[in-house]
Amino acid sequence: MDLATLTSQLHALGEEALPKIAAAPDVATLDELDVAYLGRKGGALSSLMRGIGQLPADDRPRVGVVVNEVRQAVEAALEEARRRTADAALAARLVAETVDVTTPGRPIARGSLHPIVETIGRIAEIFGQFGFVTYEGPEIESDATNFQMLNIPPDHPARDLWDTMYVDVEGGLLRTHTSPGQIRVMHTESPPIRALLPGRCFRYEAVDASHASEFFQVEGLMVDEGTNLGDLRGLLDEFAHAMFGAGRATRFRPGYYPFTEPSVAFDVGCLVCGGVGCPACGRTGWMTILGAGMVHPVVLRHGGIDPERYQGFAFGMGVERIAMLRHGIGDIRVFLDNDLRLLEQFR
Amino acid sequence: MRVPLDWLRDYVDLQLDPEALAERLTLLGFEVKGLERWGSEWRNVVVGELLTVEKHPRADRLSLTTVRVGAGEPLQIVCGATNIAPGQRVPVALPGALLPGNRAIERTEKMGVVSNGMLCSGDELRLSVDGEGILILPAGTPLGAALTDLYGDWVLDVDVKPNRGDALCLVGLAREVAAATGASARFPEVGLTEDGAPIDQVLAVHVEDPGLCPRFVGRMVRGVGVAPSPQDVQRRLLAAGMRPVSNVVDATNYAMLELGKPTHAFDAGAVARDASGRAGLLVRTAGAGERLETLDHVERSLSEETLLIADANGPLAIAGVMGGAASEVAESTVDVIIESAVFDPVSIRRTAFRYALRSEASLRFEKGQESRLARIGADRVAGLIATWAGGSVAAGRIDTAPDEAGPARVGYRPARVNRLLGTSLDPDAQAALLARVGIESEPATAGSNVLIAADPTLHDVAVGPGEAREAIVPSWRRDLIVEADIAEEIVRLAGYETVSGKTPDTSMPHVRPNPLELRDGLRHALAAAGLVEVVTPALVPASQAAALGWPVRAADGVPGEQAVDGPVVTVTNPLSERHSVLRRGVVGSLLDVLALNERHGRADVAIFEIGKGYAQAPDGSPAEWWRLAFLLAGSAGPPAWNRPARPFDLDDAKGVVDLVGHVLGLPEPLFTLHADGAPLHPGRAALAMAGQGCAGLVGELHPSIGAAWDLRAERVFVAELAIAGLAGGQLAPVRVVPIGRFPPHERDIALVVPESVAAADVLATLRAAGGTTLRRVGLFDIYRGTPLAAGEKSLAWRAVFAAEDRALADDEVDAEVGRLVAATASAHGSRLRT
Ligand SMILES: [Zn+2]
Repeated sequence: MDLATLTSQLHALGEEALPKIAAAPDVATLDELDVAYLGRKGGALSSLMRGIGQLPADDRPRVGVVVNEVRQAVEAALEEARRRTADAALAARLVAETVDVTTPGRPIARGSLHPIVETIGRIAEIFGQFGFVTYEGPEIESDATNFQMLNIPPDHPARDLWDTMYVDVEGGLLRTHTSPGQIRVMHTESPPIRALLPGRCFRYEAVDASHASEFFQVEGLMVDEGTNLGDLRGLLDEFAHAMFGAGRATRFRPGYYPFTEPSVAFDVGCLVCGGVGCPACGRTGWMTILGAGMVHPVVLRHGGIDPERYQGFAFGMGVERIAMLRHGIGDIRVFLDNDLRLLEQFR
Repeated sequence: MRVPLDWLRDYVDLQLDPEALAERLTLLGFEVKGLERWGSEWRNVVVGELLTVEKHPRADRLSLTTVRVGAGEPLQIVCGATNIAPGQRVPVALPGALLPGNRAIERTEKMGVVSNGMLCSGDELRLSVDGEGILILPAGTPLGAALTDLYGDWVLDVDVKPNRGDALCLVGLAREVAAATGASARFPEVGLTEDGAPIDQVLAVHVEDPGLCPRFVGRMVRGVGVAPSPQDVQRRLLAAGMRPVSNVVDATNYAMLELGKPTHAFDAGAVARDASGRAGLLVRTAGAGERLETLDHVERSLSEETLLIADANGPLAIAGVMGGAASEVAESTVDVIIESAVFDPVSIRRTAFRYALRSEASLRFEKGQESRLARIGADRVAGLIATWAGGSVAAGRIDTAPDEAGPARVGYRPARVNRLLGTSLDPDAQAALLARVGIESEPATAGSNVLIAADPTLHDVAVGPGEAREAIVPSWRRDLIVEADIAEEIVRLAGYETVSGKTPDTSMPHVRPNPLELRDGLRHALAAAGLVEVVTPALVPASQAAALGWPVRAADGVPGEQAVDGPVVTVTNPLSERHSVLRRGVVGSLLDVLALNERHGRADVAIFEIGKGYAQAPDGSPAEWWRLAFLLAGSAGPPAWNRPARPFDLDDAKGVVDLVGHVLGLPEPLFTLHADGAPLHPGRAALAMAGQGCAGLVGELHPSIGAAWDLRAERVFVAELAIAGLAGGQLAPVRVVPIGRFPPHERDIALVVPESVAAADVLATLRAAGGTTLRRVGLFDIYRGTPLAAGEKSLAWRAVFAAEDRALADDEVDAEVGRLVAATASAHGSRLRT
């Protein structure tokens, strides 16, 4: 074996291997070729390298250079081929894995929150920004707390405003409004008071699209030395804008409640017609959303607050009314019906 | 109150159109709830002149008429009335007219003769109550004119608040209109010629208790002719919503609507005479066993509190509420006694409620009456009767309290008014506003106090010199008593729109915990878990508690509420049986919701409610408490094409309880069998306890309850939980456990136990036996079948061991596992499944 022969055999090996590698269809074939040409034991290159020992010492380094050239060429070809086949395999897999992406996704279970409770939460959130704190009172009240302490004596004609359900508990009735909470808060807190009282109320009232015998109210109460009718108006305007939109027109007009003096009815521009007049607003362009007023001195006294030093306002709103206007609901009965076809729209 | 504008014009000039007037009144506190074009039904009804009236050729009881209604050809109209004659002017409903009661008029054929419309009676047009004959119009009525244009009117429906009884009449509203527009109101002229005998020769009145009847004014008109009222009077009453009766009765109603003064007319012939031959009236309360047939022909037994107008023979009328049939003014009546009294408002209100006879009259008495009106009302009614029904008015009046109090004085401080209103109206401006409704004012006399509250005791404050003024309040304004009333009157007249709003700039209150916080935390967690929140009525059928069998009791270890076992709270005047008692728990309401949704074809229902229960506490006082209840029926999770439907099962319900405990930061709930039966399946009901914070029942609904509710779902899972803090608790902050530095060891331990052994008991044993290195242990599988014997099951537990300060060695963990296996073997007879 001489240098020239060995060198040419090495070159021949490279020329034989490279086309085979290039033509190899898959990784398995490449692995076989890798072993066949480059394997440490029995690989073609290893076999040829055994001939190096028979060469003169001066020639050996020169052959080593050729061996490395051939090895690197084969290794590079193998690596290139491996990358190519892997890319092809991946591409093939991706094609094979194609799905119909237009099918609907797997739904995730979602419940919903009831519009009454959510509306109470929204009201509390708005007034909360003005420092109003939420309190709650009992639903079974007495004539004294539901009426008399609110300046509605027995047999007063104003009682016609609240048809009452009575219960078989000594002196008990189902509160007709959240206003008794005013007295309770005055007893537990001293001015400055900013209280919000949400809750369920009851009236002896035939049920129709706009009347319910069970309904929810939110009462508000603010008492301090200088709290005045202008504060009430400012606050109610803020509320109306937060609840029904910044551009909503509001109207402040006289109302009547025995427990406020002066009393206020508060209107917003009709949410249906925008104020030009339609059947929903009785063609007035206005919708009444709450009643309010300056707390009557008699009520402050029943709450243990000096009506000369302190003054304040109270307001009360029907939660259903607010929710109906806000969500475009036409019938108050849906709230306690709990038809899931309606409730699930609030998801 | 219905206010015909044509009538209102008698008392005040109206320059505004009806819409503008309605808005002014609304802004003045007299909300106009409706604006009605009264008489719009008469659009195709015109004035015609009868040219001929002949017998119908084929029907004796019909007439054949020709009527001229304008320039065109006369119309041939068939008519059944007998009061018609040529030359009369009558209302003619033309084809196309739609009369009151939706009666359509068309061209018809009657017994072979064409009729081109209809001649109308007053009743058919609702212009009067005469339905007998055709309405004969005054001779000068313009031919061809539409009746709408002649008699139509705008009618306002004004909401007069209970404190303004003085404005529950046309004169009162005219005063308000005058205040709003700057016009001046006119009080009606009482035209009265007293040409009869002196009153004290013909009438005597005795009031037994002036407390119940502070003033009684009597008058008498003799020799009247009772007949229908003039047509324009009938028209006004009808427009105001009152049915005309006769000229005498209409006079009392007319005066009531005009002045706000209810009066009553008695047939003097039915009143017993005293020794002097005078009609003798007595105002007294009813005696035991007395009875009276009232105007509505109901024989009533009278309670002893009832105030009566009586004569020597017995009751004649229930004072202020309803007259008696025997003394009713009828066609035969010749002499009329007019009663114009002031009664105690509370007595009238109670009586009206007792007999369920609330009327326009009692409504006005209830609100209190100005004493002066007793005199004016008597005069006005006597004058109207004499005008409409003839007769001579007896000279003078019987009057039990002729002294009329002058105006009241109410002190107010202009500065305090501004402080209340947030305005800066100077004292003169305030005085000018008050003057618009006839309230004059002047500086208060030195040393006088200002009344700021009249209840529960008079509360007045001393004022400095020049600080206060006194409002001189006309006697009809009985609603103005304290300073705040004057403030309201000032801002009402200035217009509430003049109050400029600002956000409050006073000191802030203390922070208080939000009572809704814990409830909201649970609500959001449950909604995120797929449950729909419902809000159901608190009033349920009385039968519900019995049908359900109450699930959660104090004896079940539910904390906090002993009253749960107490008697239900029952409504004594329920609207219906379906809403007659307050529920003690919420689950029954959820079953109602399920039933309703099933009726709508909805099978998959997952709902919850945080609501109250109510009962009587042992001491008889009412108790209320909060509960969380939920219900699962149908498929778990939203059904989808890419997921097999899986029905809800008990584990889903227990999972919700787990979630609740987790949200609240409570220990893992423990479930123990609750085999009490209805309302839950005795083999599938558990008492759930999560530490001290949550307790309740969770289980599958007993099939018999499902049947009682007509439910379609085969299995329904319900729970009701008592949770500490629902009434107003806060969510506890999360406390973080440090993440261990050393890797934990997981070991699976399968224990074979008899079926009768409860998993929770084994778990308790494992936890108790576990040392400090046992971090967690939980069930991950239950296996039954070969090679296990029948009646055996294998509970597979995954235990996690770790230490904070070192990595555990395998043999250390093996020893721990060995201790657990040994402990369960001795406690439950278990063996390790290998
Ligand atoms: Zn509208």
